[in-house]
Amino acid sequence: MGVGPSTKETSLHHFRDPLIKILGEDSGIDLMGVLVFGSPEGNEEKIRCSRTAAVVAECARPDGVIVETDGWGNLDVDYVNCVDEIGKRGIPVAGLNWSGTAGTFVVQSDYLGNVVDFNKNPEGIESNIVGENNYTDDDVRECIKKLKIAMLKKERSL
Amino acid sequence: MANDINLRRLVIKAFHMTEVEVGDCNSVSVDGKMTINMDELNPIVAKYSDVIESVKLELIKPGEHDRYTNTIMDIIPISTKVLGELGEGITHTVTGVYVMPTGVDVDGEQAHEFGSSEGNLKDMLYLNRAGTPADDDYIISFDIVFKKGMAQERYAIIKAYRCVEEWMNIFRAQLKKFNGTKCTEKHEYYDRIRPGQKKVLVIKEMIAHGAMLDTWIFPNEPSGVEGGKSLIDYGCMPIMLTPNEFRDGAIKSMN
Repeated sequence: MGVGPSTKETSLHHFRDPLIKILGEDSGIDLMGVLVFGSPEGNEEKIRCSRTAAVVAECARPDGVIVETDGWGNLDVDYVNCVDEIGKRGIPVAGLNWSGTAGTFVVQSDYLGNVVDFNKNPEGIESNIVGENNYTDDDVRECIKKLKIAMLKKERSL
Repeated sequence: MANDINLRRLVIKAFHMTEVEVGDCNSVSVDGKMTINMDELNPIVAKYSDVIESVKLELIKPGEHDRYTNTIMDIIPISTKVLGELGEGITHTVTGVYVMPTGVDVDGEQAHEFGSSEGNLKDMLYLNRAGTPADDDYIISFDIVFKKGMAQERYAIIKAYRCVEEWMNIFRAQLKKFNGTKCTEKHEYYDRIRPGQKKVLVIKEMIAHGAMLDTWIFPNEPSGVEGGKSLIDYGCMPIMLTPNEFRDGAIKSMN
């Protein structure tokens, strides 16, 4: 699970993950697989693991990538680096991430434009309410829409 | 679609529980009846007495959430492999009731430090999400009291999850033998190639810091512990899963 109670994903969330469910049902998408990497504590390791995830993506030749995490704060370091490394490789990328007002990105990249903030708390905070700030079907559809537009733009060289 | 190339099939058969009670044994039946019992749990808990002081099992009925809870460690579905390896074949799962381990030590220190969810359950658990029970689901509160100072020790948290799993295995053994044709829901999933369609890769970053902030992968049973390892043990490096491996409970939250 992630950092705080409201964002962290339970084992039940993984078992019924809306992202994998909806991607699998989309007849316009060839879902390649799910690449999982851990978010370690050390900065050097964070950069290496998240960069390697982007390298795997590059070698697999996807048309597009969705990067998701239930973590924030220090987990942004790996998350943003992963999105950045994919973007720099010219691969269309979209994402799901909790920001709200309390968890906005602590690092930046030019490729974060297609990242959907799945905050649900009215004040945008880590409320400690288990499940509150989890992504839902609607967030997933929004993310897939953004990715499809990005893939289309690349295809048409826009 | 006509051109799809199916690589492998996973069938998840759900058995919905309609009557859950505290009874004289731990049993689950194909017609939707489940009973839970403390007696069989006590000898299991005794095996973990180096880190666990006691465990209190409580059944929380739908709508009866106006009660105190210690910090919620996880919400776990009761699932088991019936045929094939993780990611293919047949999996049985129970719906309508989920296991909720909570943790605190004898001095009241909660099993989370960077935000914890103890308090009134009706305020601290957001229902009807993918990862949380629905309004009409039963919850089995598996309330763990750790020994002094153990609620935030990594090895104690891991042992606690092993304890939860050992108790859940009583139900898994019964669930394995259910007649699959009596399931209440059947979901078929395919790892498939869709020629000509947009190839999309999902990358998931999961926490792997240590105690209470840990994720395990490749358990023997769906959403299980035994056989699994922490992403930390894999050096946090990327691991590729097929969509069906992911759907079949290859990931266990260990917070």
